[in-house]
Amino acid sequence: MTPALHIDAISAGYGEAVVLREIALTVAPGEILAVLGKNGTGKSTLLKSIMGYLPKLAGRIAIGGADVTREAPHRIARRGVAYVAQEKSLFQDLSVEENIRLALASDRDWPKARAAVERSFPFLLERIRQRAGTLSGGEQKMLLMARSLAADPKLLLVDEITEGLQPSVIERLGGVLRAERGRSAAGILLVEQHIPFALAVADRFVVMDRGEIVDAGAAGAPGAAAEIARHLSL
Amino acid sequence: MTALLLDVVTTAAILFAVASGLLLVFGVMKIINFAHGGLITLGGYAALITTQLGLNPWFGIPMAALFGAVAGTLIERVVVRPLYARPLDAILATWGLGIIIGQTIVLVFGREVQFAAAPLGGTIDLLGESYSLYRIVMVPIAILLGLGIALLLNGTRLGLATRAVIMNEDLARGLGIDSTWVRFVTFALGSALAAVAGALITPLSSVDPNMGVPWLVNAFMLVLVSGTSLASLAAACLVLGGAQVIVSSLYSPVLGGITIALLAAIILRTRPQGFARG
Repeated sequence: MTPALHIDAISAGYGEAVVLREIALTVAPGEILAVLGKNGTGKSTLLKSIMGYLPKLAGRIAIGGADVTREAPHRIARRGVAYVAQEKSLFQDLSVEENIRLALASDRDWPKARAAVERSFPFLLERIRQRAGTLSGGEQKMLLMARSLAADPKLLLVDEITEGLQPSVIERLGGVLRAERGRSAAGILLVEQHIPFALAVADRFVVMDRGEIVDAGAAGAPGAAAEIARHLSL
Repeated sequence: MTALLLDVVTTAAILFAVASGLLLVFGVMKIINFAHGGLITLGGYAALITTQLGLNPWFGIPMAALFGAVAGTLIERVVVRPLYARPLDAILATWGLGIIIGQTIVLVFGREVQFAAAPLGGTIDLLGESYSLYRIVMVPIAILLGLGIALLLNGTRLGLATRAVIMNEDLARGLGIDSTWVRFVTFALGSALAAVAGALITPLSSVDPNMGVPWLVNAFMLVLVSGTSLASLAAACLVLGGAQVIVSSLYSPVLGGITIALLAAIILRTRPQGFARG
């Protein structure tokens, strides 16, 4: 089967500073891969590189079998990639509905998107005209998730969605991610620092340190949490 | 008194028509298009050509829109787009382009002052005052332009994408919006608006190769104090344009000519966000 995402020895960075060194990983359709690691180890940079925001120094990235190494972000998004950035990822001054519509290729997809929102976070439909900036922190993260699922993505890139959230909201987001994986064949790349959440949701994990992948394993393996915690404490 | 009030309102309307295209381009592209003055002039000559061809003077407006859109399309593709990553150079380049447009017009039409036919003549009795009908008609035209832009921005898919690019271009790109296309369309539309404004002001002033320059300076100042909001621009046009009219008629037209620039500088010094809320 063609992988949802295949990264072949990617190196990337900002100007002279190389942040990612020969990263290689694959996400199969319907698979959730957690990327763990401390702050500043290149996890967010990895997602930005996949989305086309950063030029690659070396390597190759394929999404659904197509080479996207040099493609612009909007073209990559149109291949069915939804990216949930860690910061400033909602249009605060636009309504809930406008935020979701912006992720669709055309307004004709709205009924389908509406059904997807109803499935995952129905409370958003009651607040469809509200400005996104007036939602609470947890509600904004749920809107982000709803928007990324609205266009029925083939690949979902999620950057630390659990940061600063209450356990009840984290649980709800995890439930939606698992349900989505079961329903569609989307591949999901989940960047996280919250180890229990990542291991509960993901199938496999990799650990990043200083721009390299230093460990990998199955999320369900006994001792996985202890192994990851050891990396993160070093 | 009534005449002064009508002068204030009609001047604000004309300023709004002239500045709206500049505001639109500034909002999306974060650059001030100094070729705006040249495009205003181009619109003036579109009206002149309409007159010389013996067509109905109203036809000068769509003619100007066409001229402006074609020129804007070329300018964006050839000059502005390669300089996206260097906004200061882009601004300088548009300044140079304004000069090129002016000189090209001199080559084709000559240096002399010419006159285009007015679509509407005569006066209208309003509030006990006999006033220029054409100036009065500028008010509904400016309101229609403003409503048209607002409808485009708030009622269409392209408008939603445009507002998204104004607010956060990187995020918009990540959602699949082709911001290069949005910039292109916005620049063409802003250029068309500039040329339409140029055609609209020809009955009020003469047509000459430098007719756009004073308008550019005032439009630039008005956009600086308005940020990216059409409502703020309307307010700025009323207040600063009003001040210009009052200074011109009570003191001297020379002082009036610099009133907008002077007031804008003072406003930006004391309230950096200008007329924009927040």
